[in-house]
Amino acid sequence: MDTTQLLKGVLDLAVLAVLRDEDGYGYDILRRLREAGLEEVGDASVYGTLRRLFAAGLLTTYVVPSESGPHRKYYSLNAAGRDQLTRSGKLWRSFATTMDTLLDDRGMAA
Amino acid sequence: MTVTEQEIADYVGRVRAALADLPPAVRDELTEDLPEHLAEVAAEADGSLVERLGQPEAYAVELRVAAGAQSVAGRNMERRIAAAVLRARGRLHALDTRLGPPLGYPTASEFLRLLRPAWWVLRGYLAAMLVTVITTGGTFGLLPRFGGELLAGLVMLVGLVLGSVWLGRRSERLRGWPRWAMHASSLVLVVFALSALANAEDRAGYYPYDQIAVNNPYDRVRDVFVYDSEGRLVENARLFDQNGDPIRLGYPDCVDERDPNGNNPLLRPYPYCPEQAPFAPRAPAGSAPTPVLPPLATPSPTDTPEPTGSADPAATATPAATATPGATASPTDTPEPTPTATR
Repeated sequence: MDTTQLLKGVLDLAVLAVLRDEDGYGYDILRRLREAGLEEVGDASVYGTLRRLFAAGLLTTYVVPSESGPHRKYYSLNAAGRDQLTRSGKLWRSFATTMDTLLDDRGMAA
Repeated sequence: MTVTEQEIADYVGRVRAALADLPPAVRDELTEDLPEHLAEVAAEADGSLVERLGQPEAYAVELRVAAGAQSVAGRNMERRIAAAVLRARGRLHALDTRLGPPLGYPTASEFLRLLRPAWWVLRGYLAAMLVTVITTGGTFGLLPRFGGELLAGLVMLVGLVLGSVWLGRRSERLRGWPRWAMHASSLVLVVFALSALANAEDRAGYYPYDQIAVNNPYDRVRDVFVYDSEGRLVENARLFDQNGDPIRLGYPDCVDERDPNGNNPLLRPYPYCPEQAPFAPRAPAGSAPTPVLPPLATPSPTDTPEPTGSADPAATATPAATATPGATASPTDTPEPTPTATR
């Protein structure tokens, strides 16, 4: 088991989480995830996740023209996305607690 | 900016090509923002796209997984093929273990494995024969020849057999294209061997009777019908050659009335089957049973003086009427007609 395997399950939640306070464009979101510690996350994974969440109706997009560089497509959470973030966040917390307890009970160091 | 529009377009093109198995709508949806996204990536850092993101094909795989998009048709096909392969393998294995015990081995493949060296030798021989056919042009026997030279052919045979055995002992370690090449050439040799066998079978095959019929024109004779000078069928005829030996032609198809058991078919007189006479109907009722039933013979001669055939009830009398003079002559001989006819 490595981080890549774990990431597959929680990347949705991570992407929704980094978009909670501030909209972002693709590369920006990738950078936020990496800064948050998910260094192994791949560009295509994040881009693919964004496309999927958008197709699922959890994100909305808008394009911001740029004078210096390319146009940027920003993603933002909509109501359904926030709802999903809340539910997934709770699920993750309970799951993580369960796992923590499981490991604590067996004296595994954090 | 080190990354050009062209590089981005190429990258996007290759990603889309790698996703070609997806439904077009899904693929378009998945990649519609990709050019902008890649432009963003390009603007943020130095280096080519491939350096930063990896090969487009790998990018496409990651994108496909992350987006949860899988080719429906492709997945079904893959699953079906995988299942079919699995089933076939299971069936083969079952057959393998079932055929083993009759051969005296746990599995048939174990037995076949023992035969592999024999195949290596055979393979060398087949290769030598293939060279023989190529160098001598078509005609070949059982021994290899090199350009028609038997000695050179035998040397080649030894060399090829040794080479085949050497290759066979190392074939387990072959991987990739050398392995494929070996299997392909083995297949060629097997096909060659089968066609050569079929060819040899044709040459050695026998021809049931067409050929014999050419040599012996009487081979098709089934029966012999003898007609006298008046065109009447002679029954109970016998044929002899200059040495007095009986001439046997044909074979009796019909049951002989006098010899119903067919004790000695060779002694039967001709024709065997008077009913099948090719030209005339049977001679007047008199001829056939003459020796046995003389009374029946008399009606026809008595008829003949008066050409009125109506007196005779049998329709057979009519042809006899034409032969009136002759007819009268032969019945007069009838007391012992067969002996006179045969001698």
